[in-house]
Amino acid sequence: MIRHYLKLIWNRRRSNLLITIEIFFSFLVVFGVVAMAAYYGNNYRRPLGFTIDDVWVVNIDAKLQGLPGNQPNPQGIIETGRQLRLAVVEFPEVRALASCFTVPYGNSRWMSTSKVGGREIAYSMDGVTDGFAEVFGLTLVQGRWFNRDDDAAGWDPVVVNEHLAADVFDTVNPVGRTFPQDKPSPGEKQKEWRVVGVIREFRQDGELALPENYLMIRVRLDDVESALSLGRLPIKVRPGTTAAFEERLVKRMQEVARDWSFEVEPAIDMREQKLRDTLTPLIAAGVIAGFLMLMVALGLTGVVWQSVTQRTREIGLRRAKGATIPDIRTQVMGELAVMATIAVLLGAAIVVQFPLLKLVGNVTAGVYAASLVISSLSIYLLTLASAWYPSRMATSVPPAEALHYE
Amino acid sequence: MLKNYLKIAFKVLLRRKFFTFVSLFGISFTLVVLMVATAMLDHLFAPLPPEVNQDRTVSITRASMFGDRSSWSASAGYRLLDQYVRNLPGAERTSFFKSPDQVYSYPNGNKVRVFLKRTDGEFWRILRFDFIEGAPYTADDLESARLVAVITRTTRERLRLGQTAMGRTIEVDGQRFRVVGVVEDVPRLRVIPFAEMWAPYTTVKSDSYKAELLGEFNAIVLARDRAAIPGMQEELKSRLARAELPDPKSYKKLVAPLESTFDAMARTDLRTEDSHSERLWLMMAGGALLFMLLPTVNLINLNVSRIMERASEIGVRKAFGASSRTLVGQFIVENLVLTMVGGVVGFAASILVLRAISASGVVPYADFRLNYRIFLYGIALAVFFGVFSGVYPAWRMSRLNPVQALKGAAR
Repeated sequence: MIRHYLKLIWNRRRSNLLITIEIFFSFLVVFGVVAMAAYYGNNYRRPLGFTIDDVWVVNIDAKLQGLPGNQPNPQGIIETGRQLRLAVVEFPEVRALASCFTVPYGNSRWMSTSKVGGREIAYSMDGVTDGFAEVFGLTLVQGRWFNRDDDAAGWDPVVVNEHLAADVFDTVNPVGRTFPQDKPSPGEKQKEWRVVGVIREFRQDGELALPENYLMIRVRLDDVESALSLGRLPIKVRPGTTAAFEERLVKRMQEVARDWSFEVEPAIDMREQKLRDTLTPLIAAGVIAGFLMLMVALGLTGVVWQSVTQRTREIGLRRAKGATIPDIRTQVMGELAVMATIAVLLGAAIVVQFPLLKLVGNVTAGVYAASLVISSLSIYLLTLASAWYPSRMATSVPPAEALHYE
Repeated sequence: MLKNYLKIAFKVLLRRKFFTFVSLFGISFTLVVLMVATAMLDHLFAPLPPEVNQDRTVSITRASMFGDRSSWSASAGYRLLDQYVRNLPGAERTSFFKSPDQVYSYPNGNKVRVFLKRTDGEFWRILRFDFIEGAPYTADDLESARLVAVITRTTRERLRLGQTAMGRTIEVDGQRFRVVGVVEDVPRLRVIPFAEMWAPYTTVKSDSYKAELLGEFNAIVLARDRAAIPGMQEELKSRLARAELPDPKSYKKLVAPLESTFDAMARTDLRTEDSHSERLWLMMAGGALLFMLLPTVNLINLNVSRIMERASEIGVRKAFGASSRTLVGQFIVENLVLTMVGGVVGFAASILVLRAISASGVVPYADFRLNYRIFLYGIALAVFFGVFSGVYPAWRMSRLNPVQALKGAAR
């Protein structure tokens, strides 16, 4: 049957080649959009690792990015920072407070790498104070979170997520072990990092981002180096707190630190912004691809219709020799389906090269395979839909008339 | 002759309405996407007000220090601009301004976020803003660090200042500014002029910026004429090469390219001399071609089908001595007529699409419009598309065997 279709297709190879090329390009377009959507969809259903209910983030701009060695009066800044925190905690609306370098949904990221057994392991990290777990509702799967007793320790306590723990320590329980750091530059002293706890997940960029390696290191506010760069002050407020409180909060902070600028943003707004930034290109691509597919579907309908009209006599002859109406319809649709198969196979062969050549980062094999299946099915649906109406037209002419059709 | 072709073309278009509709749909859709993209680029780069002198304006938006092991990239710092960018030969005016900050105001308990750009007085003389009320602040205001501000029409509305904001005081970022002028909104994507509020840069809370070599400042330089720009760039480069760096052990080289907005966008690496603007052009053209691929194949398919339907007509013309070249010419003209009609439809649709995008607020203050420049681009694209998709079917048609074609049995 299929061999027969192939022969028929070969007989009109020049027109059919063009049709196959068109389906092939359509496949690539559909695959691109489907893969992008599948990637985000797959990420979306994974655990996030934190909650942002009633979290507001205060960004502090203390104008500290000067030249190296040009830092103004560090002790004064530490003192202002301390008073600022005290002033914020005094508000009854504030339930918890922390300091950190970067926050979830924020635009900055702190990256680091470690060498473990010859492998380079990259991870994102954040320096946080003890309140961070409470503000962002972190839950530990192993060990404990930071606490005040850590002040006395001669090492820096760190908390890692499960991915990073698996990457670095394999199956060994990481709690209590030393985390391997990158070699310091000469002359720089380095404190030991010791893992005190493990969290399940922490996807800093939110729902649509891939799971990543994450490490949190405890920072001390009396430490000059770190205190100077702790520019984010996430707070957890009482449910139902309104923007009016924001004004009071900013006014109060402004009183404490006159030279600094403050910006308060509910984390939920940051989340929305991040989602919008990520999804807008996908939606634009989806709309354009949708119109392209409509165009292709109409175009194919026209082409198949034309070819059916041209082959009226051939079809008439077949019917005169006993082919039923469903037989003819199957033939029209079958020919296009065979061409679609050739195009999809060709497209799949090319698309499969991308992960092999490492042209696409971070897309898992499962997502890739699912996108291949979904886009192939969509292409079949598209071609069959295009062939459906012409296939009916093919059988609308009675065989007797069709045989002397000019 | 051409008149005949046109007549036939229209007759053919009207004969098979479904085919005509499908072809027009594809053509117009393709042109809509391309024209919308062109309009957006035009919105980004064309010399629209307030950047009226864009052809002879260059800017510094990024700067870097490089060493053997480390590099540090940011905007330029005030000290860099003050020491090395002032008085470049051939410069008519020079303006320094801070990158916009997001600041907040709380009128009647509502939170309003405003982009505040702190500038000097020259800023208003290089860029021509459209003042609804008042006038810009001046070098004198800058000198005395007066808390004065120019705001946009929308900011006036959002801060609930009513119809006249002149002389009113607004509290923003913990500082109280007196409004001296109100201007029309500026599109977000015009990075040089964009802000929602402007104030003298001497009003920042701490003057630590004065010592910064890299920091948060930008510069725009208005050249006397275009020809003076390369000289200014050379002079700045040699001044920076002689610059004294604060930490010569870690950083050895200071770079701050002085260039047009387009060149700045094309530049990926500050270390290289070339800004790669040709590459950006090629990439945009390549993207457009890639996008046109599928619509072109679609149109070719439709055209081939249509021609086969007209096999007997072609057979007759061939039998009466029409050359292949004549037939190819005729078919390309027919296809051009089709793409031109599609172009007109697409142009009309683009207006609607751009209006919808502007209204949706995806890009703040964007006012995407079509103008004669984009219209000309659109015509050029339609012609290109028409020829591109017409050549192969025309060639196929011209090669039909007249005897077979007369019988209508073309393959």
